[in-house]
Amino acid sequence: MPRLELLATLEGHQDRVWQASWHPSKTLLATCSGDKTVRLWAPLSLTDPTQWQCVETLEGAHKRTIRSVAWSNTGNELATASFDATTGIWEYDRDNWECAATLEGHENEIKSVAWSATGALLATCSRDKSVWIWEVEADNDFECLSVLQEHTQDVKMVVWHPKLEILASASYDDTIKIWKEDEDDWYCADTLTGHQSTVWSIDFDASGEHLVSASDDETLRIWKMYKPNNPQGIPTHNGEETWKTICTLSGYHNRCVYSVSWSKVNGYIASVGGDNSVRIFAKDVEATEDEESPIYKNIATEQDAHGVYDINGVSWFPNKTHGDWLATVGDDGMVRIWRLIE
Amino acid sequence: MSQNLINANPTVYNTKTIVRKETEAELDDNIEDPIDAQEIFDLIRSISDPEHPLTLEQLNVTQFNHIEVDNEKNKVLIEFTPTIPHCSMATLIGLCIRVRLLRSLPDRFKVDIKVRKGTHQSEGAVNKQLNDKERVAAALENNHLLEVVNQCLATASLRGMEVAVN
Repeated sequence: MPRLELLATLEGHQDRVWQASWHPSKTLLATCSGDKTVRLWAPLSLTDPTQWQCVETLEGAHKRTIRSVAWSNTGNELATASFDATTGIWEYDRDNWECAATLEGHENEIKSVAWSATGALLATCSRDKSVWIWEVEADNDFECLSVLQEHTQDVKMVVWHPKLEILASASYDDTIKIWKEDEDDWYCADTLTGHQSTVWSIDFDASGEHLVSASDDETLRIWKMYKPNNPQGIPTHNGEETWKTICTLSGYHNRCVYSVSWSKVNGYIASVGGDNSVRIFAKDVEATEDEESPIYKNIATEQDAHGVYDINGVSWFPNKTHGDWLATVGDDGMVRIWRLIE
Repeated sequence: MSQNLINANPTVYNTKTIVRKETEAELDDNIEDPIDAQEIFDLIRSISDPEHPLTLEQLNVTQFNHIEVDNEKNKVLIEFTPTIPHCSMATLIGLCIRVRLLRSLPDRFKVDIKVRKGTHQSEGAVNKQLNDKERVAAALENNHLLEVVNQCLATASLRGMEVAVN
């Protein structure tokens, strides 16, 4: 049976940690916290994954909790989303990280920030129920292209398609929305319903044809995209793709699922939540007879991965260098690095 | 002022009946007492109502019988009863209960706070908000709101032993 091995516990944050985000190419992890800082962590040496240090603390730019942190595609910039209703853009200037721009506009707490695959667009979402799309221009200039207001409640998370300029957002209104552009106009191309409570987290698979979502209803759902005139005969509307649940993982987490990460390297899904556990799911290739209703199995579980505390975030290492690594962050203020041993 | 109150003339209940008597085992430091419903009730019974100089116990908002504790599984479920079905203070009262328990209980406990079934017209919405930890965290960063909560909690340490009089 595969299992998770704890490589390191990183101490330093002074409050609960909300999210962990890996640098796209370096062995560098960014984490954000209720202590209003982002910390950057790196191993002391590239040969020993058990010894880590905090190499940088980004502070001073936000007056309240930093809920979300995201690297740009090049890894040269970081975006931070804060309860103070602003988004910070940070860049490395000579010898330290500086907040080079502050994006304002949301009415209240920003819950999530994400860069598109090319780095040309940035998305933010807020308790004000809106999703904003920003265009990244030269010299840390950001222009708001669109304010999308179709969610009826607090928007918890935004995530971009791994290749295309397609955005997904998850909300307290229990739905997921897919957003696309048509000649500079952004619109909602599909609304994914099925979850019975808040959708906290979403992630695409490597192809971008599947999406996984995690909810307060204690389930994970796997959604598949069907194009118009698909061979399966799934009906579509207005020439748009439609997304359908093809698998529901229930009975595993027994409290709210706060975060989910779909590995772009090995295809595994990791989820964490208020039941203090980390769970790893893999597609059961042998048992799956029909690709329209695949079977996923729970291949590894780590109970009490942050002791008695909720786990708020989970993130797979983004490339093959350490494709078996996972970072988790919790209400205990700790950041943990795990390795999946097969 | 009084005509602006949401519930100007609430029913006040007699609270004398249940004051905890400590057992001999509880006085013995060598015996570990599991946290039970009575302990939880004592923590929250004397929280003040946001608009009356009365405790949640006196208004029958919190009741011993509506607390479930599973000490082994680290679970607490509290159901509270708003004084009137359209009470706009319900979320604030629930928040006060949550903050009191956040500050008093060991971290191992997972606390669910709900409006007692059928006692509030926006029951689902209130419950969802009270149990969304991100929104609770954001609310507690609001200084004005925190001040109101702290005011309601100022009497909480009485634990039913004494009636607050203004």
